[in-house]
Amino acid sequence: MASPIHHVIIGSGSAGFGAAKTLRAADQNCRVTMITMDSLPFYQRYALPQIFRGRQDWRELLEVPPAKYDELDIKLRRRTRVVEVDGSNQIISLAHQETVAYDRLLVCTGGRSYLPENLTSQVDLIHSFGSYEAAMQVFKDLPKGGSVIMIGGDMIGIDLALTLLDSGYKVTLIANQQTFWPHDLTAKQQKPLLKALEAKGMIVFSDSRPIGVSDKCTNSATRCVTLEDTTEVLGDVVLSFCGLSPAVEFMLGADVDIERGILVNPELRTSNETIWAAGDVCQIWHDTEKTYKFYHGWKNVRMMGELAARNMLGGHDIFDVNVEDQIGVEPDGQLKSTFWTH
Amino acid sequence: MMNRTGTDIQIAICGSAGDGTIASGDILKRAAALMGFNVIAFDVYPPEIRGFGKCISRVRISSQQSYSLKQNSDVLISLNDTHAIPHVGEVRDFGAVIYDDNLIANVPEGGHISGHIHPAQIPYGFSIRQISEQATNSARSRNIVILGYLAELFDLPREHFRKIIRDKFATKPRAVTDDNIKAFNAGLLAGSGVFKLDDVVVQKVDAKGNGADAEMMTGNGAVARGFMEAGIQCYFGYPITPATSIMERLAVEMPPAGGKFLQTEDEISAIAAAIGAGYAGTRAATATSGPGLALMAEMLGLGVMAEVPVVVVVSQRGGPSTGLPTKTEQSDLNLAVFGGSGDAQRIVLAPTNVEGCYRCAGRAFEIAETYQTPVIVLIDLYLSNRYETVIPSAHKQFAAKPRVPLAPNGDGAFKRFELTENNISPRAIPGEEGLMHTVTGLEHNELGRPNDAIHMDMNTKRHEKLKPAVNFPGLTVSKRFGDEGKVKVGILGWGSTFGEILETMYEAQAEGISCAAMKVVMLSPLPVESIAAFFADCDEILVPEVNYEGQFANIVCGALGKPVSRLNQTNGAPMAVADILAEVRRLSGKKPKTGQSDTFTEAAL
Repeated sequence: MASPIHHVIIGSGSAGFGAAKTLRAADQNCRVTMITMDSLPFYQRYALPQIFRGRQDWRELLEVPPAKYDELDIKLRRRTRVVEVDGSNQIISLAHQETVAYDRLLVCTGGRSYLPENLTSQVDLIHSFGSYEAAMQVFKDLPKGGSVIMIGGDMIGIDLALTLLDSGYKVTLIANQQTFWPHDLTAKQQKPLLKALEAKGMIVFSDSRPIGVSDKCTNSATRCVTLEDTTEVLGDVVLSFCGLSPAVEFMLGADVDIERGILVNPELRTSNETIWAAGDVCQIWHDTEKTYKFYHGWKNVRMMGELAARNMLGGHDIFDVNVEDQIGVEPDGQLKSTFWTH
Repeated sequence: MMNRTGTDIQIAICGSAGDGTIASGDILKRAAALMGFNVIAFDVYPPEIRGFGKCISRVRISSQQSYSLKQNSDVLISLNDTHAIPHVGEVRDFGAVIYDDNLIANVPEGGHISGHIHPAQIPYGFSIRQISEQATNSARSRNIVILGYLAELFDLPREHFRKIIRDKFATKPRAVTDDNIKAFNAGLLAGSGVFKLDDVVVQKVDAKGNGADAEMMTGNGAVARGFMEAGIQCYFGYPITPATSIMERLAVEMPPAGGKFLQTEDEISAIAAAIGAGYAGTRAATATSGPGLALMAEMLGLGVMAEVPVVVVVSQRGGPSTGLPTKTEQSDLNLAVFGGSGDAQRIVLAPTNVEGCYRCAGRAFEIAETYQTPVIVLIDLYLSNRYETVIPSAHKQFAAKPRVPLAPNGDGAFKRFELTENNISPRAIPGEEGLMHTVTGLEHNELGRPNDAIHMDMNTKRHEKLKPAVNFPGLTVSKRFGDEGKVKVGILGWGSTFGEILETMYEAQAEGISCAAMKVVMLSPLPVESIAAFFADCDEILVPEVNYEGQFANIVCGALGKPVSRLNQTNGAPMAVADILAEVRRLSGKKPKTGQSDTFTEAAL
């Protein structure tokens, strides 16, 4: 009897889990393995700000109970780093010296937080919010009612900032080009949105970029961000929310085309016929605009995962953007973004 | 599972022989005891003396009294993935699996433990080997690195570990201690900053806990301790797993205390010498396992016939024959109670925990002397090798009472085997003036001279004299636990299994099942009255035993003429609480619970 087809999914977020479920639903006999660097099973990253509303137990953030993986016969490998994909021989090398063979591979590793180059040397002084552990570290290090300095302020960051303000914390936003990312806005388009944030109590600096972060502060604050115009912004925690850069390094030898992200056709197939990509890690060919484009937002990402899975099973579905990119201010002063649709 | 307040965690360390798995577990349990926790620990190791077999050290640390190991560990540490992978399922949901995530050799798919961790378990991978090599220029300290990591992850007092490490390597060159401290500190550093995602909690212990008063002992260590406190004068033994460590300890401790210790050429010589020493009036003992007891059976008969006090410790292992030398079993009960030719009743005591080993071994000499007969202390590998925190008695409660000399009776006229009212004859020590007498394995008259005609009377005397033993002062021969009065299910047990029985009883009570348990320590003569009273109170009786035939159930049924429900397992592992509980639920009419299985399987060996 032939061995069952082995589908491997690198990444365990919305796209990855959606794909795994779709694969299992369509083929009861195949092997489905998910590989992730995360310590936890798939949880709702968009719910991480809820930590500041009392949901500190990671179990409350899980998308599905752990037993669901058994029920679906999905092998989930956590804290596992892929160092190389051999696209010709269809072998994945893991950092701990194990190799995994696949028949079909889906890459949905998403992106990691982008940090402005001039601040990379101070990375140790800047908190991350990219995982449950990182978010909990922020929660622990931020005193009750304390002050957060947010550099950039992409839509993930704005979501957190609004929660923090609502929960009695202070937020100072140092706006830049990535503010409201992935919405691609000019400074003029940003203005009314920033005003709406100020109306909610946020302090906004929009005319000067940060040039340094320090823990040598003039008063009791533990962090100090210096702006180009010499202004010093004081706070307890510094967070950078400047969008995501696709996590693709391990794919460099995989025989797939990569620009910033992994390039895929509208069926989400890469230039290697056994490899697909979905979510924030891929750029999808846009036939009208004749270019590869990123599509962000949780709903888009989830849909990509499911679509890729169907096509891995022999389908030919075409990606059609699910949610158009829109942001605005409601009459009641609330920001509304399609990025937050989930 | 039963709700316990405070700390109640179990850590399993799994590696290959030579990885330092057992040493690591030893440091962990001693450190935990020093912190004031109650500790129960049990090591499983391969039967081969050399090689690369699997070793597991399980340590249960609790702030309340525990009675057995838990079926599910809270933490599993892998020093060898091949051996540890089958045990991943032993870790409870939201417990931790700690492993090396930086191997030096390629492994095929499925060869690394990270691929086997359940989504509800928390993986903690770090470079164990690399950290050990960086700290000590050797990978041999991996077993100490993991202790540092553990101490950091669960915020355990570091100094207690360092003290135990220093103590453990005190006899080695200073560099060995220094390297191990370095490895421990390197593990601490590796654990610092690790975000703890499991829900395993170790609460600080009240400083007035067991602390310095408590001692970590194995069952075998407790036997040796009891012997020493009883003033043992002569020990003769031949090594056999799992009894050997009794002999090893006595070899060290007896000579300085004035005792005579001899390793004999075999078990027959050992029991013969012990009987000789007992006959000569000393406190004498030997220790063996099932195969050794089989060889000793003939000489035990002589001890019964000649009415010689002697103590024989038997630590059971899987049988028959060479059997399963490093796996536990309770299958030598028949041999202990009935083994040998003729009607050779002897006293058999079966302690149920480590403290019981200490008390039974200490008290056994007095019982043997009182009834002038061999006393067998029947334990098993699980109890022999199990560590528990014990607070030994502050006073020498087992010391021999001064012997009242008998009046000279005229050589040849002394009735060493006199038929008395209580069936216990006056006992003279060879060489005592005016008390010369004959002793023989042949049936004999009151003077000790061969005589067939008196066989019925002497048989009666040798059996009847033992009956009062069930009321021997200072010894718990049986004890009831749990609900008083009438209950739905009563669990009757003996030996090491009783820890699991007690845990089961508390679990059952927590589920609302009316339940009681009785331990029987004196297996011969059987305390029939108390067992009968227990039977009368229970709608159903369950007898769990780690043997195939239900040897104790057979004895009890024979004695009371009443049926019991049996639960028998012989998979080399202690009986699972979950398995006993399932039977209790069935007998009580309660539906089985679903959820995470916590049954030991073959992989648990």
